[in-house]
Amino acid sequence: MAAEVRPVGNPPLPPPILERGVIGWMHANLFSTWFSGALTAVSCLVIGAAAIFGINWILFNADWSVIATLGGQLVIGQYNTELACPGQNCFWRPQVSVLLVTLILGMMWGLAGGGLPKRMGIAVAVILSAFALLPYSFERMGMDVRLLLGANIPALGIGWAIARYTPLGTSRNVALSAVVVFVAILLLVRGGPAIPGLEPVSVRHWGGLMLNLILAVGGIAFSFPIGIALALGRRSSLPVVKLLCVVFIEVFRGVPLITLLFMSQVLVPLAFPENFPQNSLFRAAIVITLFSSAYMAENIRGGLQALHPGQAEAARALGLPSWQTMLFISLPQAIRNVIPAIVGQFIALFKDTSLVYIIGMLDVVEISRAFIQGNPEYLASTKELFLFLGLVFWVFTYSMSYVSRRVEENLGVGRR
Amino acid sequence: MEAQETNNGSEDIIICRDVHKWYGSFHALRGITTSIGKAQVVVVFGPSGSGKSTFIRTINRLEEHQRGQIIVDGIELTNDVRNIDAIRRDVGMVFQSFNLFPHLTVMDNIILAPMKVRKMPRDEARQVALDLLDRVGITEQSEKYPTQLSGGQQQRVAIARALAMQPNIMLFDEPTSALDPEMIKEVLEVMKELASSGMTMVVVSHEMGFAREVADRMMMFDQGSIVEDGSPEQIFENPQSDRTKLFLSQIL
Ligand SMILES: Nc1ncnc2c1ncn2[C@@H]1O[C@H](COP(=O)(O)OP(=O)(O)OP(=O)(O)O)[C@@H](O)[C@H]1O
Ligand SMILES: [Mg+2]
Repeated sequence: MAAEVRPVGNPPLPPPILERGVIGWMHANLFSTWFSGALTAVSCLVIGAAAIFGINWILFNADWSVIATLGGQLVIGQYNTELACPGQNCFWRPQVSVLLVTLILGMMWGLAGGGLPKRMGIAVAVILSAFALLPYSFERMGMDVRLLLGANIPALGIGWAIARYTPLGTSRNVALSAVVVFVAILLLVRGGPAIPGLEPVSVRHWGGLMLNLILAVGGIAFSFPIGIALALGRRSSLPVVKLLCVVFIEVFRGVPLITLLFMSQVLVPLAFPENFPQNSLFRAAIVITLFSSAYMAENIRGGLQALHPGQAEAARALGLPSWQTMLFISLPQAIRNVIPAIVGQFIALFKDTSLVYIIGMLDVVEISRAFIQGNPEYLASTKELFLFLGLVFWVFTYSMSYVSRRVEENLGVGRR
Repeated sequence: MEAQETNNGSEDIIICRDVHKWYGSFHALRGITTSIGKAQVVVVFGPSGSGKSTFIRTINRLEEHQRGQIIVDGIELTNDVRNIDAIRRDVGMVFQSFNLFPHLTVMDNIILAPMKVRKMPRDEARQVALDLLDRVGITEQSEKYPTQLSGGQQQRVAIARALAMQPNIMLFDEPTSALDPEMIKEVLEVMKELASSGMTMVVVSHEMGFAREVADRMMMFDQGSIVEDGSPEQIFENPQSDRTKLFLSQIL
């Protein structure tokens, strides 16, 4: 700006051609020296060959029928089998759960008025509804199932309208609704002898992606506050509190999750009264949550340690008591600075939910493995099946990191 | 807030008696005895490491003293948390590095403490904040984030933030040392205005022009002690201690 005002001096010139546009970029990044040029050429050859080979295999050689055969089992495992729900169709219960989730996404969109929640909500609702069009026979995939899938688009709209036109549309109420929905989903999927129309379905029959998602969402939701509490405890000036937190964190970080899961079936019952209702899923969820909390605690502690001491000092000098200083000044900045680490932790947690196979639960990976084992005629399709599973996990984890990057941008992490 | 009226009729708002402070085995404050009257403006100066920051930070107990007595606004600083919080509410502090909260807007920086500590309703706190921003010469920046402001603007916001708690005493620890020359002036202007409004101020600073013009009193610190204490005229025209003479000859 200042340069335009100045009447004297040389006028600005455009940069030399080698530093501009596509050619400049390629010159700077790909062919700046003969070595990097050679590297670029070799890399292109390798990538090209891999792409040709990969696409050829995916389109012409691979046999994807195994995925169609497994179908809904990938999503809910053995949930809708005769063993799990004798004499009735239970498929609607997970489906209504999904509708509730879409409803919440719609509410988030209505609350935010656009942006990321809008794009996310629309993407999820459209993808889910698209499953209604799968070319299965109507015996295999009934009209009811298709309608419930298609209902995701109206559910999104209803959620949006609720947030827009009712008092539920505040951030606090949307957050509360999300908690209510999470509990409602657990009740809906579990059922209970006292609830008419909802025959209990033992958690032993919960499975597929549904199981991974329930464990991951529960683990994330609980490990975040527990992790914060542990991080604060570890910084506490009370020696007993500090010691307890250090021991907890180091124990849970020091033992492999698979070992913890195995032990959970023996150890968790000891921590609860004898007649406390519990089951293998509950125990696994507790162990996964605590395991993740320990890592979360260290992430948050790192964030707190990186803060300039002047921040807390300024707050204390204003007369804020130490807990308010923590709540309003230190924690928000600390968490904001470690969002990438926290999301990394959540992604790890999501992938780790597959380990529940060790206690006999049929998550999406285990059910696939068990299917191949039980149906040797599909043995040749193992690669297709597991490639597909990899893709499924990738879609979820990539969405998580995409959302986190957008959140980071909105919070202006770089702006310090 | 009306505490000073019942202060036994004494006009001294800060009283220090033989205050000692150690960092580990390092003796940082070595018996500070002084009292500062209401509405006095005291400029504290002295060589680096002489304990100036430590001294003013003991006044609102950002640092704890280990021996002696400090009475601020009629309340003695002890380990009693209620006393400490009460004093911090009435003593504002401005730091060399501003220490604004980067995750909050200028407005939220200012209204946070009045709302949380003084339980002031948001609308009232906002009004107070707007008046203060006007007073320190920053208008229409209230929804910006601190890093979007210049250093001088940030420091003036920090002053407004401290004033929003309606303190009786303001402490300044080298408020202009991190600023470019043209910004120093705008901050000093605000401080002059504050001094003329009758605020009790303790200012660590080497801005001798400011001291000469505004200070009622100057204190020279060296090695954890007050080596000279007097009016600006006396300090500049007729310093008693050789240390003061030497130090002033170096910086003037
Ligand atoms: N937290 C601390 N731990 C240990 N020593 C400290 C600490 N803070 C200050 N000191 C020491 O105490 C002495 C006085 O420090 P202080 O910060 O009060 O000096 P100052 O007069 O403000 O100096 P400056 O002009 O450099 O700010 C210095 O020697 C310093 O090294
Ligand atoms: Mg200092």
